[in-house]
Amino acid sequence: MHFAVTSLTAAEEALRAEVREFLAAELPAGSRPALGFAGRHAPEFSRKLAARGWVGMAIPPEYGGHGRSAVDRFVVAEELLAAGAPIGAHFVADRQTGPTLLQFGTEEQRRRFLPGIAAGEIYFSLGMSEPDSGSDLASVRTRATRVEGGWRVTGTKVWTSEAHRNHWFAVLCRTSPPEEGSKHAGLSQLIVDLHADGVRVSPIPYLDGSHHFNEVALEDVFVPDEMVLGELGSGWQQVTSELAYERSGPDRWLSTFPLLREWLREGPGRDAGKHATDDEAVVLGRLASRYRAIRQMSLSVARALDAGEAPAVEAALVKEIGTRFEQEVVEALRAAVETELDAGSASLFEALLAEAVLTAPSYTLRGGTNEILRGVAAKGLGR
Amino acid sequence: MSDDRSMLVEVATGLFGDLCTPEDVVAAEGSGWSARLWDALAESGFPYVSVPEEAGGSGGDVADACALLAVAGRFAAPVPLAEAGLLGGWALGAAGLELPEGPLSVAVGRPDDTVSLTGGPGSWSLSARVHRVPWGGRAERVVLLAPSGGSTYVVSAPTSSASVTPGRNLADEPRDTLTWDGGALPDDAVAEAPPGVHADALRLRGALARAALISGALARVSDLTVRYTGERHQFGRPVARFQAVQAHLVTIAEEAQLAQLAVQVAAGNARPDPSFADVASAKAVASEAATTAARHSHQAHGAIGMTKEYELGQLSRRLWSWRDEFGSERWWNRELGRRLAEAGADELWPRISTGLVTA
Repeated sequence: MHFAVTSLTAAEEALRAEVREFLAAELPAGSRPALGFAGRHAPEFSRKLAARGWVGMAIPPEYGGHGRSAVDRFVVAEELLAAGAPIGAHFVADRQTGPTLLQFGTEEQRRRFLPGIAAGEIYFSLGMSEPDSGSDLASVRTRATRVEGGWRVTGTKVWTSEAHRNHWFAVLCRTSPPEEGSKHAGLSQLIVDLHADGVRVSPIPYLDGSHHFNEVALEDVFVPDEMVLGELGSGWQQVTSELAYERSGPDRWLSTFPLLREWLREGPGRDAGKHATDDEAVVLGRLASRYRAIRQMSLSVARALDAGEAPAVEAALVKEIGTRFEQEVVEALRAAVETELDAGSASLFEALLAEAVLTAPSYTLRGGTNEILRGVAAKGLGR
Repeated sequence: MSDDRSMLVEVATGLFGDLCTPEDVVAAEGSGWSARLWDALAESGFPYVSVPEEAGGSGGDVADACALLAVAGRFAAPVPLAEAGLLGGWALGAAGLELPEGPLSVAVGRPDDTVSLTGGPGSWSLSARVHRVPWGGRAERVVLLAPSGGSTYVVSAPTSSASVTPGRNLADEPRDTLTWDGGALPDDAVAEAPPGVHADALRLRGALARAALISGALARVSDLTVRYTGERHQFGRPVARFQAVQAHLVTIAEEAQLAQLAVQVAAGNARPDPSFADVASAKAVASEAATTAARHSHQAHGAIGMTKEYELGQLSRRLWSWRDEFGSERWWNRELGRRLAEAGADELWPRISTGLVTA
């Protein structure tokens, strides 16, 4: 395991300045920031961002993207997340589906989906969890049966974020029975149209009352052969590699940053015409110093990816500590203000704090629980 | 890391590996230090890395010195390496004073210290009482910052004329109280402090040096804990196979990496001097990491970690000492937080997103 310290080049800093300028113009002062990548679904914003070349950055120009480095993507992502920009519409397609299609997809699939992803117009959900399959993903029961020209898929996916707004989802399912000694064999990923016949999307109300989660029931849904993602039977390897390299970005440690900023604006600092008390200063200093160090870890992984390395253990460590830290920020600020929470508070900070308390448990669950991550990381440490 | 720095680290690792084994550290704790190790380091010029060659030092920069200190921390080295170069040597070199042949330490600037320099060229005399001086009784000279007549002076005070009251930190490293009772000082022991050499700057360097030592010790604690839990069998398998133990290993590794990166940013940006924000972040993160990693490594080790001979305790006792020296995490977090609150909400992200800056 190794995290090399790295700095941003002049070109990377210039990119940051451009994004900051764009955000200053697009996000009016005083508007409510989104908390994290899943915070707000805003197709219009996604398209504007795409018009600047900041969606599909990992996608090569031949597929409508921009062929930018992992560090460039890091810089754009951290600016968007720190500002609380509404990136929920395109973010999963951009972070996860695009790179997966590039790595495993057919030429036809790339031509069909990547330009739309890069334009901020095609949105994907992830079809992994099921009612009886969470961390033990290989136990999925959704099944695809061979038919003329494709597959018939039946099963139920749950916790499917934004399935009611997105266009497609990548479904992990069984295309042949598990083999003796390997439950990972016989799994495949299929790209399923969320509006196809036999797909039923129903809301699962989220803890804060919003509509975010869905149950997606698939009943004999026809999926043509050309929508098999990657190799038949390689679904397990594909989803695990997909999870491994997309673990360490700013979306894993910045979700609650806007909360800290709004606290500073309303509470202990110059904006409110106050001086921080000792306790307030300690909270602010601690969170800031840890943000800086975690950011450096996360940036180091991006740099390693650009160098062609495979920092899977490092990425797991970043997500593990980053998501726990996102939660710590919430509790540290709650302890600092001593108030009774009300989501309808007239104070932007308090309203955000209420939202954060209600959504924070998801940070250490989504994309692989911290218990699973610790297992991955600990095995890597022992090697 | 530059080639020169890699080479420095490699050579230092070999030297400490030979002369600073866990047995050597146990032995040195009785007497408070290892003369053999110090002599070998001095012969290689290691104590004065980062002090310019023109000033009699070994050259190199703050980042080189911190890389060296991380190695020293990893080996729990019982010598005043941090005090000699980054602190004392820096001040003497900047003031144009000679570096001593023997060990050099520094008055760390405790609130209860008193320093009075009187007279002038040909008639300097020093009355001072300074506390918690690292290896003060072993040093040949101790650097003091002395206000006198509206200026600040750098004093290279000879310990031969001081009385020494021994004290120790939790790792049995000497932290002595030294008293000078109005004795005369030679002219070549006093010089006016140049701009930039003052108590706050010394504190920044001290905190950075301790953070660097901590980062090296943490890397070793992480390795030791991974090794031990991989070898120790209970219930028929290595304890590292248990999820509860894996959680310890991961937390230790995370904290060690946070500390290391924070130190490398602060050291790398020190061209030539470390900045407040970088050092505050580095020392706060490193001190908290010391606390967290020591707790988890002891829990993962069980009773063996509680024995004086086992290497973990040599490291954890240093972590518990170094985390408070030159300011605890609370102290640095508070100072950093005050400045951030003064700067306001819209300045927060630009400051957080400033990491290592390209030279």
